[in-house]
Amino acid sequence: MPVPILKQGEVLIASIQAALTDHDLLQLKDELADKIGRFRSRGVIIDVTALDVMDSFATRTLRGIAATARLRGAQAVVVGIQPDVAIAIVQLGLTLQGVATALDLEEGFEMLRRSMVKEGPQ
Amino acid sequence: MSKPRSALQFRMTEFAPSDIERRLEFVNLGPDDRARIAEIKADVLDHLDEHVEAFFGHLAKFEEARGLTGRPELIGEAKQLKREHLIAMVAGEYGREYIDQRFRLGQLYSRAALEVSIFMGAFHSLMTSIGRRIMSRYPKDSLAGFEHFTSLKKVAFFDIAIIVDAMMADREQTIRQQQDAIRELSTPTLQIRDRLLILPIIGLLDTQRAKQLTDSLLHAVRAHRARVVVMDITGVATVDSKVANHLIQTVEAAALMGASVIVTGVSAEVAQSLVTLGIDLGRITTLGDLQGGLEEAERILGYVVTQAAEVA
Repeated sequence: MPVPILKQGEVLIASIQAALTDHDLLQLKDELADKIGRFRSRGVIIDVTALDVMDSFATRTLRGIAATARLRGAQAVVVGIQPDVAIAIVQLGLTLQGVATALDLEEGFEMLRRSMVKEGPQ
Repeated sequence: MSKPRSALQFRMTEFAPSDIERRLEFVNLGPDDRARIAEIKADVLDHLDEHVEAFFGHLAKFEEARGLTGRPELIGEAKQLKREHLIAMVAGEYGREYIDQRFRLGQLYSRAALEVSIFMGAFHSLMTSIGRRIMSRYPKDSLAGFEHFTSLKKVAFFDIAIIVDAMMADREQTIRQQQDAIRELSTPTLQIRDRLLILPIIGLLDTQRAKQLTDSLLHAVRAHRARVVVMDITGVATVDSKVANHLIQTVEAAALMGASVIVTGVSAEVAQSLVTLGIDLGRITTLGDLQGGLEEAERILGYVVTQAAEVA
């Protein structure tokens, strides 16, 4: 199932609704990279609240998305990692290094807002 | 409210006929033994009071057995059960009902806080009393007396195993309940400001508890929408590499949920042992005491705490 990507001002929101196949993840990555340029977005929020598993491929793809977004001038934040998922990621030795994380969508917006302010007024 | 199901009842229901057979095999009780026990039946039944008295008279000598001998309501029941025990012992039926009786007696001893060591002494005294009767039946043939006594002793050892098992099971149950109680008490997560939690840890951290701690911390982060958690380990006497690893994992997992964890109260001993073990806690923010941790947390959250007026 493809992931819907919503646009809210300068921020793109990818809200994952169900378990993702590897193909879905790659598609999400491509689509985000494309849309960041098209909408001149400065932030990307990926909401994974609905995910109850995250494997090495998913974490690697998320790292890839964050790095890609940075190169395109946007900051990516992953929000809504469930407690059990967080434990599993750490115990499996997977990392989300270089990826900003926040509790939920609201926190993610707050985080992006702060970093945009830091970068100076428009 | 019904009484919680004790371990004894639990174990009793698990006692299958094959287990009973197996236990009888353990003490090597054969048809010969059953026949010999039938022969000496009278030695036990005709002197029931004498034998029961040997058991309880022995207990009465010791202060440690006061929990049983000093309580009339228990001792009456115990004496009655012991009489039934002796009658059943020579009746030749060692089935489910027999086991249940032994369990009840064991449960009673356990309730009376009777130590296994004293019980063993009293049981020996009981067997001596019976043995004397049996030996006097065969004044000319001490070997026959010994063999008959040995047959009965097999049943006695079969009994002891069950009674001791019952006492142990009851004690284990108590220990388990206490452990559960401690575990529930031991990991509170407290919110002291909006978005700020503290997690005081006191006592021994083992893997089981560390896991539970991680779990409760992460769920609390979600429930309280915490951004900063101060974990105070002042009350933790020792931190080994396993526990340290758990702490690191907890901190990283919390970071994935957007919360930063500050660890405080690392004592001098713990700090030195961590350094000696070569554990790098560099990725964790550590501060000397809880106060320092709270101040740092308030700084992160943008709180400014000021005193309203000079205290006289």
